[in-house]
Amino acid sequence: MAETQMQTDLQAGLETAVNKDWPGRWSHLYKILDRRGPFADPSFTPDHGDEILLNTCRVLVIGAGGLGCEILKNLALSGFKNIEVIDMDTIDVSNLNRQFLFRPSDVGKPKAKVASEFIMKRVPGINVTYYHGKIQDKDDDYYLGFQLIICGLDSVEARRWINATLVNLVDDEPERIRVLVDGGTEGFKGQARVIIPTITSCYECSLDMLGKQRTFPICTIANTPRLPEHCIEWASAIHWPKERPDTKMDTDDPIHIQWLYETALERAKEFNITGVTYSLTQGVVKNIIPAIASTNAIIAASCCNEAFKLITTSQPYLNNYMMYTGNEGLYTYTFEHQKKPDCPVCGNERVTMEISMEITVEDFIDYLKEKQDIQLKKPSLSHAVTNEKIYWQSPPVFEQKTRPNLERKLIEMVKQGDEVTVTDTTLPISLQIVVSYI
Amino acid sequence: MHVDKKTQKYDRQLRLWHANGQTALETAKVCLINGTATGCEILKDLVLPGIGSFTVVDGKIVDGSDVGNTFFLVPDSIGKSRAEVVTEFLQELNEDVKGFHLPENPIALIENQPEYFLQFSIVITTNIPEKPLLKLADTLWNAKIPLVVVRTVGFIGYFRIALPEHTIVETHPENILDLRLDVPFLSLKQYVKTYNFDTLDSMDHGHIPYVVILLKYLEQWKQDHDGKLPSTSAERNEFKQLIQSGKRNADEENFDEALSSAWKACTATKVPRQVEEIFKDSSCENITAESSNFWIIVRAIREFVSNEGLLPLAGSVPDMKAYTSGYVAMQNIYRQKAKEDISIVRVHVHDILTSIGRSIDSISDDEIDSCCKHASFIQVLRYRSLQEEYITDPKKSDIGRWLRDSQESIVNYVLIRAMDRFYESHNRYPDAATFFLEDDAEEASEEARSEFSTLKTYVNILLGEWDITNYPEHLDNYIHEICRAGGSELANIASLLGGMVSQEVIKLITRQYIPINNTIVFDGVKSTSSSYIL
Repeated sequence: MAETQMQTDLQAGLETAVNKDWPGRWSHLYKILDRRGPFADPSFTPDHGDEILLNTCRVLVIGAGGLGCEILKNLALSGFKNIEVIDMDTIDVSNLNRQFLFRPSDVGKPKAKVASEFIMKRVPGINVTYYHGKIQDKDDDYYLGFQLIICGLDSVEARRWINATLVNLVDDEPERIRVLVDGGTEGFKGQARVIIPTITSCYECSLDMLGKQRTFPICTIANTPRLPEHCIEWASAIHWPKERPDTKMDTDDPIHIQWLYETALERAKEFNITGVTYSLTQGVVKNIIPAIASTNAIIAASCCNEAFKLITTSQPYLNNYMMYTGNEGLYTYTFEHQKKPDCPVCGNERVTMEISMEITVEDFIDYLKEKQDIQLKKPSLSHAVTNEKIYWQSPPVFEQKTRPNLERKLIEMVKQGDEVTVTDTTLPISLQIVVSYI
Repeated sequence: MHVDKKTQKYDRQLRLWHANGQTALETAKVCLINGTATGCEILKDLVLPGIGSFTVVDGKIVDGSDVGNTFFLVPDSIGKSRAEVVTEFLQELNEDVKGFHLPENPIALIENQPEYFLQFSIVITTNIPEKPLLKLADTLWNAKIPLVVVRTVGFIGYFRIALPEHTIVETHPENILDLRLDVPFLSLKQYVKTYNFDTLDSMDHGHIPYVVILLKYLEQWKQDHDGKLPSTSAERNEFKQLIQSGKRNADEENFDEALSSAWKACTATKVPRQVEEIFKDSSCENITAESSNFWIIVRAIREFVSNEGLLPLAGSVPDMKAYTSGYVAMQNIYRQKAKEDISIVRVHVHDILTSIGRSIDSISDDEIDSCCKHASFIQVLRYRSLQEEYITDPKKSDIGRWLRDSQESIVNYVLIRAMDRFYESHNRYPDAATFFLEDDAEEASEEARSEFSTLKTYVNILLGEWDITNYPEHLDNYIHEICRAGGSELANIASLLGGMVSQEVIKLITRQYIPINNTIVFDGVKSTSSSYIL
């Protein structure tokens, strides 16, 4: 069914493509696509870029935000005629300083819809379909329907999900490999990378490169605040649940932010702390990362340049990571990030962990959450051989049944050298850990 | 509290360059010469964050190929003025920005009326050949207006900043730690004395701020070592042992913080070398009525340093394990001292202003405060002019050295220069398939062979001008690649350069963060970029 639909789309796209071109439209691209080059792959054939310009290549763009808007524009101008975009967000005023496909009158509308309609209106003959929803709603067949997937996300979790999904998709059949081009930015910094699932290092292999998120110890927040941030955390994490237990905090609601700001300000006054502002309050509770048009343009264009080279073979593609920083001069660092043999997603080596004989199941779970190269959210544990459930986060009946185990020592259920299977409801990951007590 | 729409719209960038940076952007008048794909992408990334106005100078009539690679054109634009249409589409991106256009040939304008460009805060050129470019550069240089020269061809991008001088106070370093641990000022010393470590209960002992811990033990160390700081690594370890000995139990985080910052206490506070260089600069030496605010404040800080021996205190304290009261008290001591330092600098500033006949209100207190706070990190960039690069003082030996390394991107710079020379004689860019695989070598037409050798001739002329006698063989492939590109502009490379250039323009306009000096070459084949001083 999906395949028939795809065929029809291809036919329809092909016709529009022929109809909508005007003289000279692709002349810049043809220079490259019709001529051999000294650096191009020997398999490159000068053929008018049939792959992209004749619409046989379907590309998926994940995210229609700062990077997504740029990616869609670049793909459309590079001759990719069959694009789908997924995004679950709606447009906010604070997007307008960089997400250039949106206008003030679009605030509140779904990003994916507005972005796809804008591109189709501006660039004739480009077919951009959209899905306003979560990437997790889609199944393997959906992702197999694209040659290439470009990610412009601001969420680590979503990136981990798509990465693991694409790696699992391969299933030892090389024809099921779908290349992932991933971009990310923060202020004046960013990175672009090419992930060829099971062949190159994957997103999970590089988790330890992520900076640790700034967190404040709860006792500081409760007893010895020193920074304005401590007062804001107190307002949102301690005072809100106490004062407004029946209202769910919505960080997009200006009235809620106002309440937090005033509460934090009050507490700051009490402790003679200066520096609580509305903007800081918003920044802390929403974990706002600065974002500007220029960095987005650089990273998105980098991703699209790699996508273009990958699909047309007109030049060698990035192997496999480019970091960019622009706050002091302009530097890029291009290197091959190495595959991690014991990567929980693409590695085939089991992970051995040295842990204390005294450790409880609960402490072990906390350890897995905090470990920089694993960073699980809600790990569930079973014995790999006996399948005995050690602790399961869900469904509720199993959670209740296994909850008493949290206080027990791990060694009571897992002997020296035994293997534990760890899964996480938020990620399509299954990790095998060999336990070595010390 | 009411947050206005504009603050909401710009929230994500205000967190980087704050209200003062935004005001600078909003008063900037940007000129773009040629509304090419790259030019439009640069403007897009400047209109979105909200520059004051932009003006597109472009005499071209839109053709089908322009619409193919530029997002700010549509098929209906064909036959119309490119300046007019792109201005209209770019203006749509932000209602706060004014867009103007001048549908005239920029080369003729530079030739006949170069003073036209003096009305702008910054001028950006795309695809302007060498001769008119030099004339424009000269005009802007004399008026101290920044010029950004941009080129893209095929997978290659290039840009260059030319400006006599750029001074920066807010360089945004990762952290501005200035604790004066080795040279505590009086009020700080007195504050340390209020802590009697031995009589504190374990709770209080675990909340002594690490700055106090370091100051106490450093004082003790100095008493035992003729007033000297721990200098050798053995001494530093010994000093750490001393701190360690004061720790009552394993989980005293404040002592752990002290131990991990012990090296800071052993490092002498002094004026950074780059700031000393700035103090010696002739602009700092010779203050006149024409001196900029920056130089006047820096001169005042120099006076401060010659009296006090150190820069004015930055006044900020990092977070550390402590009781609120202890932390806030210490924070206030640092802040108070910083205020005192600033007020001394302010007196110097006012003296200088009076001596050159300027009003003392002509430099705001905020400006003085900011410069004192960032004193260790101020920067002065002096660019080389295009005249020097092209004619009077090319970086011959550097280029020669870089060219010997086949991994260096400098080849792309050489090719862009050669391509411009080609254009000046032929009024078109090199454009032919000149590279063939062995199997299809016979396909190489006469025309292709001649295109290759003509471009190579211009490469050799440039090499000759730089006194490079050995032709680097790896240049051949790059010549093929430029012939293949045929003067094309790819949307991806245009957008990438648009992002890079706009970022530098923002840094120049806001006078925040550190711009490049002076050339960037981006190689989209290898996905690398390189920075050169040319």
